[in-house]
Amino acid sequence: MLTDRHREQLLGYTMIAPVAIFLAALVAYPFLSAIYLSLTEKIVGYPAHFVGLRNYANLLDSGRFRIVAWNSAVFTVASIAVKLVIGMAMALALHQVVRGNQFIRGILLLPWIIPTVVIALTWKWLLDLFRGLVNVTLIDVGVVKSGVHWLGDPSLAMLSVVMANIWRGFPFFGVSFLAALQTVPQELYDAADVDGAGSWQKFWRITLPSIKSVVAVVTLLSTIVTLNDFNIVFIMTRGGPGAATHIFATYSYELGIMSQRWGVAMAASMASLPLVALLIVGVVRYLHREEE
Amino acid sequence: MRLATLVRWAVLALILAIVFVPMYWIVVTSFKTGRQILLSQNVYAPEPFTIENYLYLFEESRFALWFRNSAITATASTLLSLLIGTAGAYALTRLRFPGRRTLGAVVLVTYLVPPGLMFIPLYQTFIKIGYTDSLGTLILAYPTFLVPFVTWLLMGFFRSIPRQLEEAALVDGATRVQALVHVVLPLAAPGLLAAGLFCFTLSWNEFLYALIFIADDSLKTLPVGLSEFVVSDFAFWGQLMAAAALASLPVIVVYIYLHKYMVQGLTAGAVKG
Repeated sequence: MLTDRHREQLLGYTMIAPVAIFLAALVAYPFLSAIYLSLTEKIVGYPAHFVGLRNYANLLDSGRFRIVAWNSAVFTVASIAVKLVIGMAMALALHQVVRGNQFIRGILLLPWIIPTVVIALTWKWLLDLFRGLVNVTLIDVGVVKSGVHWLGDPSLAMLSVVMANIWRGFPFFGVSFLAALQTVPQELYDAADVDGAGSWQKFWRITLPSIKSVVAVVTLLSTIVTLNDFNIVFIMTRGGPGAATHIFATYSYELGIMSQRWGVAMAASMASLPLVALLIVGVVRYLHREEE
Repeated sequence: MRLATLVRWAVLALILAIVFVPMYWIVVTSFKTGRQILLSQNVYAPEPFTIENYLYLFEESRFALWFRNSAITATASTLLSLLIGTAGAYALTRLRFPGRRTLGAVVLVTYLVPPGLMFIPLYQTFIKIGYTDSLGTLILAYPTFLVPFVTWLLMGFFRSIPRQLEEAALVDGATRVQALVHVVLPLAAPGLLAAGLFCFTLSWNEFLYALIFIADDSLKTLPVGLSEFVVSDFAFWGQLMAAAALASLPVIVVYIYLHKYMVQGLTAGAVKG
């Protein structure tokens, strides 16, 4: 006869089993076999043979991979830095001017809701050399004489994909920060007013310290996703011109899907893993702390 | 008016304008004629106004088919994820069994692994089991990020439901499963709804897996179909922007319902950017 305690355990295992089996089969297994495959060389028609860390060594030696790693860093750091600034401005403006204005907040979140593919295509069209809104307007206003090669010039191409990524992502930052701002007790500000503190001082001494864990979690989450972004770059530039906007995921795509070099492709997929793992540990620690 | 207030309104107006312009460009372009776009006439407004781009989508492109494929995939993967994730979340928050904490941590970690890192490994696995190029592939692939998400989000909701309610039902002779179905789930309904709507949106918008796992033209989803409108830097922008507007419509409708749950989800730290 089962005791209540055993019955509870049995039910627990039964209910968690689908999640566990599913994640084991389609997350853990692919992941572990990818690590194994990254240590092999696979040529079509022959069995894979073990080559140790050679794929990783080849990657580190390849000039293209170094460009990709640098681009990924630039893409991520630039996107997140600007998202932090605009997101904070958005949160502060919404919090103080129109407290609880659901409608404006709703409109501002739209870029985060609509498909990323739509956003990337729209930005490609906005920045079109001859007929895009940006160039047409710049010429009409008289800022430039002829169209700017947004997606054709290597340095402007990086700026362009970063702009599209910022547009997509800053509302999430803004709304998260706003939600955090609304939990900061008004008494803190009243006390600061009595002491004669200015707005700038209040921001650095009260606001920012009060919402710093939300800022940290949002920044960490966004860094993980941005470092492995694919959609915006793939659609706007395919990593070009040359390799000017090539980042980790578009490079894995090139190696795995275009060239079918599975061993190296797996190694490239895992290239950002050490950093991603560190960031994940960071998020988990923050979220677990809040839980308790 | 104080200077500070003025500055805040100016900031808000600027941000609204930044958000507005690309969306305006989608809508305006979608109502222009091909000739108007080609010759850059009346750039800022659709004159002459036409709905030919929308008609083209339904009469001459596979838009309706892509729409159908996206709807099937998103609905099926959402339901599958809700079913598995709800059971898992209940077990992890309410039932005591060895290994529970570890499993909870594993769920959170899998939730954070980005698709950009997983798509090649996952593709290899699907090739190995011989199951690519079917909507079923996507219906199985999407829950790899949806199940951890649902589980994580609902754990928060289940924790907020007082244990006493459930214990009262147990004392009255209900089984655990009856207590879950009749007491806990009705109370967690807003959470289930929010989780479902989020899942639908994430599946509807998904591009990378759909691009890689599906080669058959008749099985493509909307984002992939849209991306293929652009042929080597040339595109029929009028038709494409009409398609972009229509592809965004379902998630905007979902969002209108989702909106009030959104901030709750955000503060729980359950949603990523």
